[in-house]
Amino acid sequence: MATLFIDNAPYQVKEGKNLLEACLSLGFDLPYFCWHPAMGSVGACRQCAVKSFRDEEDTRGKLVMSCMEPVRDQARISIQDAEAVGFRAGIIEWLMTNHPHDCAVCDEGGSCHLQDMTVMTGHNYRRFRFNKRTYRNQDLGPFLNHEMNRCIHCYRCIRFYKDYAGGKDLDAMGAHNHVYFGRSEDGVLENEFSGNLAEVCPTGVFTDKSLKQHYTRKWDMTHAPSLCQGCAMGCNIIASERYGELRQISSRFNGEVNGYFICDRGRFGYEFVNSEDRIREIGVKGKPEIKDRDSLLRTAAARIREGSVLGIGSPRASLESNFALRKLVGEDNFYHGVADTEFDLVNLTLRILKEGTVRTPTLPEIESADAILILGEDLINTAPRMVLALRQAVRRGPGEALSARMNVPLWQDAAIRQAIQQDKAPLFSITPYPVRQDELATKSLYESPDDISRIGFAIAHAIDPDVTEIKRLSDEERMWTAHMAAVLLRAERPLIISGYGAGSEAVIKSAADVAWALKKSGKDVRLSLTVPECNSMGLAMMGGHRLESALDAVAHGHADTVIILENDLYRRAEKTLVDEFLQKSRHVILLDQVYHQTAEEADVIIPAGTFAEADGTLISGEGRAQRFYQVFVPDGPVQESWRWLQQLAEACGNRTLSHLRILDDFVLEIAKTCPQFEGIEHIAPPSDFRIGAQKIARQPHRYSGRTAKEAHIQVSERKPPSDEDSPLSFTMEGYHGIPPSAVVPFFWAPGWNSIQSINKYQIEVGGPLHDGDPGRRLIEPGDAHTPVFFAEQAAPFPIRPDCLYLIPQYAIFGTEEFSVHSPGIASRSPAAAITVARADADSWGLRDGDLLEFQFNGQEYKLAIQTNQQYPRGMGTLPIGLKGVPFMDLPGWIRLKPVERS
Amino acid sequence: MEKLENISLTGRKKVLEKKPMNFLERIYLPSIVQGLAITFKHLFKKKATIQYPEQRREFSVNFRGIHSLKRDEEGRERCTACGLCALSCPAEAITMIADERKPGEEHLYREEKYAAVYEINMLRCIFCGFCEEACPKQAIYLDGDIAPADVDRKNFIYGKDKLLEPLLK
Repeated sequence: MATLFIDNAPYQVKEGKNLLEACLSLGFDLPYFCWHPAMGSVGACRQCAVKSFRDEEDTRGKLVMSCMEPVRDQARISIQDAEAVGFRAGIIEWLMTNHPHDCAVCDEGGSCHLQDMTVMTGHNYRRFRFNKRTYRNQDLGPFLNHEMNRCIHCYRCIRFYKDYAGGKDLDAMGAHNHVYFGRSEDGVLENEFSGNLAEVCPTGVFTDKSLKQHYTRKWDMTHAPSLCQGCAMGCNIIASERYGELRQISSRFNGEVNGYFICDRGRFGYEFVNSEDRIREIGVKGKPEIKDRDSLLRTAAARIREGSVLGIGSPRASLESNFALRKLVGEDNFYHGVADTEFDLVNLTLRILKEGTVRTPTLPEIESADAILILGEDLINTAPRMVLALRQAVRRGPGEALSARMNVPLWQDAAIRQAIQQDKAPLFSITPYPVRQDELATKSLYESPDDISRIGFAIAHAIDPDVTEIKRLSDEERMWTAHMAAVLLRAERPLIISGYGAGSEAVIKSAADVAWALKKSGKDVRLSLTVPECNSMGLAMMGGHRLESALDAVAHGHADTVIILENDLYRRAEKTLVDEFLQKSRHVILLDQVYHQTAEEADVIIPAGTFAEADGTLISGEGRAQRFYQVFVPDGPVQESWRWLQQLAEACGNRTLSHLRILDDFVLEIAKTCPQFEGIEHIAPPSDFRIGAQKIARQPHRYSGRTAKEAHIQVSERKPPSDEDSPLSFTMEGYHGIPPSAVVPFFWAPGWNSIQSINKYQIEVGGPLHDGDPGRRLIEPGDAHTPVFFAEQAAPFPIRPDCLYLIPQYAIFGTEEFSVHSPGIASRSPAAAITVARADADSWGLRDGDLLEFQFNGQEYKLAIQTNQQYPRGMGTLPIGLKGVPFMDLPGWIRLKPVERS
Repeated sequence: MEKLENISLTGRKKVLEKKPMNFLERIYLPSIVQGLAITFKHLFKKKATIQYPEQRREFSVNFRGIHSLKRDEEGRERCTACGLCALSCPAEAITMIADERKPGEEHLYREEKYAAVYEINMLRCIFCGFCEEACPKQAIYLDGDIAPADVDRKNFIYGKDKLLEPLLK
């Protein structure tokens, strides 16, 4: 700790930080633009100037940029000094000379850092009388709007997009007063994290285009702390609503999970909530008169009581909903609604994490890894946020070394970046096909899943001879495995990443072996295994039977009624099987949010709430339990699945759920009856939590129009809905200070209207939130000191004539079920085609776009192909889950139909 | 010594004595004549009321009546749906839905955004004029008439159809 004198008052601050961070952490309001807690300092905007004094006697002092000066013990600075205040006022006036006065039409208005800083420095009247410079704006695709006239040239956008996120198509162009931030020509911003520009940009140059479709000011929206449901990363988000429509997703800081940033699937994939395809009404086949909850419950209960019943859970439904279904149908009749391969992979993952010796990493742990091995994962498409973390990790090692050698602090971003150049910490990526993380890798190999696992096991063997030796490795493979093992052994904090992406258990096992071997040799190693969906891990932890047995049970007449929870079975098993299953079931009761193929076949459709209309708990791939909260109460019968199931149980006369009423009851019951979920009752404050006898307000205190916004429906105001499930209130009534970190509905502090107000919610700037980052890790490795290695001896991948080993491929935009309902995401979906090695296609006499006919599991398929030179021979990939691609339980061998030569 | 309950704390208490009425007072006639005289005197005085609505008083320049949404000199709507009027409204009576101006609509809307829906709940409005004060675009003024009476509450929700200034031909 150092003593820092600010305006002659002593403060204890951490050494190693810069003055700006220290001042902000102490709660001072010091304006800034170019500095960002995640991106460090460059001293470009000159806005954070303070006066620095040599010693007590020094009365003149000198102006310094606080973001560029490290904290030194006994340093004396002044924020209030007249010259510093004047300098800052001058700078903002200067920055504002060309800024259009268009706050009234600007989407950023009301959550604008530039507005806040202008008010903070006291620049009220414009003296500049001349013409402002203007720019032509670009069309940057479906996600972001571009309005360059508003730019104040802080360079944050390209520092995030190029330097932090590795984007290549946004740059600073021009010179002097005409610097332009944009692409070289109109077109889609390609980077998967482009949406963060809307938050990073201190003003309205880059704004959220999906928000623009239904624009509402930040102060006019109802916000709630929520979780992204797009993948298993568990990124924290803020979901915002007005007029019964979800309008915006922004990132919610959680230092352990997603930091300041989220990916574009998470930010723009929310529009299914407002979609035309939403299930909003109760539907009973043949009985259109049933429209209300009570008669539906009576009808459904009668059908459930008729005979035996089975329930199909879902990896995209909350823990509470799955638990309620399991209670309703009984443990023996609870099946996982996931493809069989996925079931095996996720269960294996869970077993490795629970019984192994290595724990999963948090975000800061990923970012501080000093050697990384990725086995079989196409991370940008299976766990997007992790790629952004890996980008920071590969820079960190060289950065830290240089920082120590040159005696330059790590936050001196420009200096460190310049010194690092292209230097990277070792990252080895062994995947079936070229992937995004290749650009970070010191070495990328493209191999079939079988060969990936062989290399994995070989690396593990090279680290620890207890692992079974792999025979018949090629010379090149042998060389690389030796090299990778040596590099991993040299590292202090190695990280091994694998997961469901390659669809291979052997790959996951080999990754576990590598991690365990490293652990055994004393390394502080982490093992990250991706899982497919937002609650895949929770469902696996809960336990249940595989889908295949449910299909069997119905085929053999063991079940009459099927309750399907938030699931489209046509995405989980092959069409013929599901068709038969649904036909043979006497009654199919479906609880879901969006119409899909399974809904067409269901007899009873019950409208379930999406993450915006329901509360629940999810377990992320890391094993972290986190809570998401309802944003608004929808009109009509839509409610949480767990509430439906509880009412259904009650109507059936099933008493197992009758003592559970609100969310807290479910959470406590789960924690009590399932030891693996112990602790989930502590991840967020209970529903009776109050601050000063008040609930926490979901609406900002400036929320407008409450006596008018529903007046066209009913003139006299309706009673605002009350929330018995959470400590949050649906209106602006309630506590507006800083609530516990798990229930922060939006970030706001006096004078800080933009997302930059996160500073005020953190213990120290850039650090964890007050009372800790939310969520609790439920999976910790066993205490076995010597791991039991997997002993698998996979044969080298065989290339079989007339056959192709087809593995699933995922796409950040397109293969996720719900996000494709957003037009922007749908427009960026890849083609529905099989990708194969060019040499393979040539040998069949096929070219790009030709149709490939093949058989898989006795079914015939016909799909277009595209070729790629870098693919290994004998293997192809298919984007499963994409529109127009039939479900196949991949990976598997497909038999090609002989091509007729014309 | 005076009785305790008769002591006035303010010192302004007057003790009234109830005297019995005399003969003239008991027949009431003089008082009736006196009262009628006042009544008849008023027949020849200037009337305090006017015949509303046929006759109207002149409003003060500061009078705040029904709101109107203004157009600019080219007839384009001035409102950009920035939301500041709604924000400043203490009765929370204003709501609006913003929309983007599309190419070809430049003659309709002055700036790139406009209010697709703009509603004021006149039952809630207290005519304080804060919306007028807050408007950065000089788009709303309380320069209209007194809000008319109605028997249906629905008719007090004023949309753009009632608020927007008619186009001058």
